[in-house]
Amino acid sequence: MAWQYSEKTKQLFMDAVHGKPGTHLGELEDPDGFGEHGSIACGDAMRFTFKVHRHPTDPTGDVITEARYLTFGCTSAIAASEALCTLIEQGGYTPVGALKVSNRDIVEFLGGLPEQKIHCSVMGAEALEAAVFNWAQRRGVNLEALGVDLHMDEQDEGRIVCKCFSLSEPYIKRKIRELGLRTIPEITHAIKAGGACMSCHHAPGGLQDMLDEVWQAADQAGQAPAQVSTLISFAPLDGAGAAETPSTGAPSGEANISPYQFSKKVEHAVSEYIRPMLQSDGGDIEIVDIKDRLVYCRLTGACKGCAKAGQTLALMVEQTLKDTVDERIRVIAV
Amino acid sequence: MTQIVYADNNATTPIAPEVFEAMAPYLTGEYFNPSSMYEPARRVADVVAAARRTIARAFGNVEPKQFLFTSCATESNNTAIFGTARANPNRRHVITTRVEHPAVLGVCKELERQGYEVTWLGVDRQGNLDVAEFIRALRPDTLLVTVMHANNETGVIFPVAQLARLTKETDPSIVFHTDATQSVGKLPIDLHGEYRYVDLLSFSGHKLHAPKGVGALYIQRGTPCRPYLIGGHQEEGRRAGTENVPYIIGLAKAVELAMAHLDEEAGRVRALRDRLEQELAARISWLEVNGGGAPRLPNTSNLSCYYIEGESMLFQLSDRGICASSGSACTSGSLEPSHVLRAIGVPFTAVHGSVRFSFSRYNTEDDIDHIVEVFPPVVANLRRASPYWDQVKNEPRPGPWLEAATQR
Repeated sequence: MAWQYSEKTKQLFMDAVHGKPGTHLGELEDPDGFGEHGSIACGDAMRFTFKVHRHPTDPTGDVITEARYLTFGCTSAIAASEALCTLIEQGGYTPVGALKVSNRDIVEFLGGLPEQKIHCSVMGAEALEAAVFNWAQRRGVNLEALGVDLHMDEQDEGRIVCKCFSLSEPYIKRKIRELGLRTIPEITHAIKAGGACMSCHHAPGGLQDMLDEVWQAADQAGQAPAQVSTLISFAPLDGAGAAETPSTGAPSGEANISPYQFSKKVEHAVSEYIRPMLQSDGGDIEIVDIKDRLVYCRLTGACKGCAKAGQTLALMVEQTLKDTVDERIRVIAV
Repeated sequence: MTQIVYADNNATTPIAPEVFEAMAPYLTGEYFNPSSMYEPARRVADVVAAARRTIARAFGNVEPKQFLFTSCATESNNTAIFGTARANPNRRHVITTRVEHPAVLGVCKELERQGYEVTWLGVDRQGNLDVAEFIRALRPDTLLVTVMHANNETGVIFPVAQLARLTKETDPSIVFHTDATQSVGKLPIDLHGEYRYVDLLSFSGHKLHAPKGVGALYIQRGTPCRPYLIGGHQEEGRRAGTENVPYIIGLAKAVELAMAHLDEEAGRVRALRDRLEQELAARISWLEVNGGGAPRLPNTSNLSCYYIEGESMLFQLSDRGICASSGSACTSGSLEPSHVLRAIGVPFTAVHGSVRFSFSRYNTEDDIDHIVEVFPPVVANLRRASPYWDQVKNEPRPGPWLEAATQR
């Protein structure tokens, strides 16, 4: 998706990464507030530090004088970090006052952000909250007593389904279960998901698919286990105890041996008759897999790359196995 | 205006002048419907037939009628997969890989929703499939195997000829499809020779210097595959809709040119790519070539720069006239990082920091010089801004936060 950033966003980003004077890239030593926030789902993370001018008697009167950031993220994430620091320094805020700098202020400062990038500006606010919390601890300020609610809206990480409101698949699924949501309108009313552009309603992996998935799983959990597949299946090489279920083209013979016994017989024939013959020419054979009466082999050593490898297998290995184990065996060279 | 260095040829390619020239008459005077009865229409029908022959020749001189023209590789893939499923209602198992293009991945997921069972084969840290695991996945109820020829992100080549042979030797009724969108024009594909076990093969024009909006699907004679677009008798009923004549002419011309340049692709283009990787590796620490240990397309270089994010790299590259792409979440439109790099096991901080350069025969040594000059400072700028990077020591900054993010 091509960039539709404002000139301001592009300029801030470029100034910041080129270290233009007056920009805020970096980390303060001995900060008064330190906060980190990272979202793996979006691939961005931020470390935010600030220093204050300390009020002589009342810590809540501290004023932020410097703010710096380090950001791992896209163009808009770095520009939003720059915007946050500028707004905070210019505002002459106390740490608690700085919490008023909102996502919307940042977007406005940037001259707007593309819709799908709005969430990049949220990261700054969360790192700021963490730093203010850290400052409060250092300065012995009881934020709760001040009525500051630092409960961060924990967003479950994962694939973003509703892009308009940046809501992830795990979060929406959790809410579907917790709130017993059964329809798309119910989801939208409860958590906004799907309320704006509506493109996630019936997209593959969208809201309807998630509803189906959550409730089907829940409905099935209460029932008897799903019926066992009636499809014929090959048993794996070490599938001792698996039922013999011959497949197309290989009718079950009168000697009804298990796949395990069968593969043992093949291995025996290989080590007894075939391998010695190949090894006498400096080659070797590896059984890759056995399915029903199909034996998959790989020739190694001197035989590998030998132009006659295919013929060697077909003529010698297959004939030997037919003679000694089962005449229906077919050998496939891997 | 800055000079453009176009290094995103796996996304799309510039149209070859010869292709445009070949198409031009059919966009103007020669507008007739090849299905019509009069003389000018017959002329147009003849050119379409000739285009089909040109393409068939490029794939080992197979029977031309086995190629039908589509609107894009996505349509070819949809036709191949859904068409096979509808033609074989008794089989309900599909084998594919975790690293397919969304045009196959999405279709297989849709089949899964419809009740089909899909085996998703993984890849190792280099991007290679395990052939033994592939064999184990084949079952008596397997309907279709769909495995891409070359990966669009990393360029890693799967041994499609071998997998197709193993499939058909195991059970000739299993249909083998390959999405060859990235390999056609870059690797030789002989459907009479080594690749004769392939039943269905998709590709598109705009990856090989034809315009967007045209693709093709090879359907080996006798392969059970129901049509996807139903209507008129075009393409013998296998794909209804009036033939996109100018684009079909363009596709044939592009395929013809690509075949003439195959050696250049394997020689000069590969040398450009290799030089880029060597020079960047000498200048950038914590740089990894994704898929570098596997057989790869000669034109593709997928690089991970640890601890920085790709979108902000692309933005700076773009500012200096370089067009490339990234597997970072912020460039995907879905906010998810590349499923291909995740399947390979590239850690998150390196997935987000991936950049893909993909070249074509139109790239030059000067292009490489320009990237080598511009890219290292771009990486340095962002590492200076990264909380995962120690700006003083110029190396990754250890810490629990970093480790948690790296391992996830």
